[in-house]
Amino acid sequence: MHIPDNYLSPSTCAVLGAAMIPVWTVAVKKVKEEVTNVKMPLLGMGAAFSFLIMMFNVPLPGGTTGHAVGAVLLAILLGPFSACISVTVALLIQALFFGDGGILAFGANCFNMAFVMPFVGYFTYKFIKDIVKSQKGEYVAMAIGSFIGINIAALCAAIEFGIQPIFFKNASGQSLYSPYPLAVSIPAMMLPHLLVAGFIEVVFTVAIFSFIKKVSPGTIYEGAKRKTKAIYALIFALICLTPIGLLATGTAWGEWSIDEIKDVFSGGSALGYVPDGMKSGFSFAAIMPDYSVKGIPEVVGYIISAVAGVAIMIILFKIIGSLKKKKVKSI
Amino acid sequence: MPEWLLKEENYITKSDKDTFINKSILSLLNILSRIRAQNSSSMDKFYANPALKIAFTLMLVTLISLSRNFIFIVIINVYLLVILSFIEAKDIVKIFKISFIMSMFTFIIILPAALWGNGSSSILITIKVFTTVTAVNILSHSTKWNSLTSALKRFFIPDVFIFVLDITIKYIVLLGDIMLNMLYSLKLRSVGKNKSKYTALSGIAGTMFIKSKELAEDMYSAMECRGFNGEYHISKKFKFALADAIYIIINIGIILTYFYLH
Repeated sequence: MHIPDNYLSPSTCAVLGAAMIPVWTVAVKKVKEEVTNVKMPLLGMGAAFSFLIMMFNVPLPGGTTGHAVGAVLLAILLGPFSACISVTVALLIQALFFGDGGILAFGANCFNMAFVMPFVGYFTYKFIKDIVKSQKGEYVAMAIGSFIGINIAALCAAIEFGIQPIFFKNASGQSLYSPYPLAVSIPAMMLPHLLVAGFIEVVFTVAIFSFIKKVSPGTIYEGAKRKTKAIYALIFALICLTPIGLLATGTAWGEWSIDEIKDVFSGGSALGYVPDGMKSGFSFAAIMPDYSVKGIPEVVGYIISAVAGVAIMIILFKIIGSLKKKKVKSI
Repeated sequence: MPEWLLKEENYITKSDKDTFINKSILSLLNILSRIRAQNSSSMDKFYANPALKIAFTLMLVTLISLSRNFIFIVIINVYLLVILSFIEAKDIVKIFKISFIMSMFTFIIILPAALWGNGSSSILITIKVFTTVTAVNILSHSTKWNSLTSALKRFFIPDVFIFVLDITIKYIVLLGDIMLNMLYSLKLRSVGKNKSKYTALSGIAGTMFIKSKELAEDMYSAMECRGFNGEYHISKKFKFALADAIYIIINIGIILTYFYLH
């Protein structure tokens, strides 16, 4: 999952690196707040631990070996911001000192493994742990958190690879960097991670955590001082992901417009006509048809629609909730 | 004598797969020896300032990544070969090993795309990977790692990162030693078929984490006793030496060559 140099264009690397700068700034601030000076060396420990875990070979059926990343485990043990810094340093050492490659792609690798993985994994873990309040629930939360964490990180890497042929071609149409489009890179990255690497990560995280909890439970991160509402982070992430739908061409099944339904193929032949009910039926002019606003790029239109949708839902449910409370009060 | 002592024992041990233990031990030993070699005198060749080296290596990697001109990449490779000729043989072998493995790996991954008509670009990417990996490895093999770390301070990286980077390397050695010993003991105690070898791995990693917490607190107290308060200051004044001048001139030449060929 470590992206080497020359697979991503320098501009992609620069964008992801720039995206990491605010993350690192916040992480440094949070760590200074939450971690006393005495506990600072723990970050170095976390980094050394993460580095060594990446060197640890786990036996796989078939005689080969694989390795885990451990970012979610670190997030659960030390907190997500400390995990971010630790994994960043581990990646820096691998890239700069051991020459594994990935100097330019350092920003991209950090984005995937030091930002997306620990945060998604940690908040998934917290979210499930708060719902299922039991000992077993904690382990289930950890398993799901680490599985989702590593797979979302792999998905990000796959998307970063996949968009290269779209944007960076030379004069004869050949791809300058990673040549595989999304249709190839996503399955190629996701299948091994969903089937193999995800399970290694889960086994690793749960096994090591249960060992530490048994032997020395005081060493575990107690959670942030304020209650972090994991659900808000999830909603924010989903809003940002809505423009992915733009990548799909064609219309989803059953959502054809009057012009499209004539050409829909079914049972070997096109429909050929427009049903009367559709031609002269109910017609509604929406404010933001097809999630787009005139004059603004489609991606922005999608995000604005998503934000509007979420806000309207929250307002609606708040109003319903307050009405219900009024009813109860009046009794 | 008790009866059971007089009985004949014929225990033939069955062999079991423990490749993963051996692999882990080997990769650990590799890493630890790399870090320990930092103290040897072969470091710090080309006495150019480490900050300059980092900046120019980064620039080199960026230019190679941006370049579409085959001639430029060949020139850079020749330049790197010249530098390599000044480095000790054992380091040259190590550097080439990593570069060749990475480029072969790239070649295999890109091969399907090359067969689908992406030919010349794929070869370019493979050569680029070779060049960048060689350049970065030359940097890491020819400079003392703690000078690289202190050079990072000049790039406005916050003290927290430099501190963590510094102690991480030291911790990798400490933790690595502990891990190595545990792996050896696991190997020694695994006589014949032993199913619980795999579960023992989690014990090794977990013990490592707990020990690391204790070590961390001890080490910080030791550093504080010696006057450390979390801040890093650069005490070495930047003296401009002949080596620096030559290095800067060569790199300006590289930049000019890039723009001339593109």
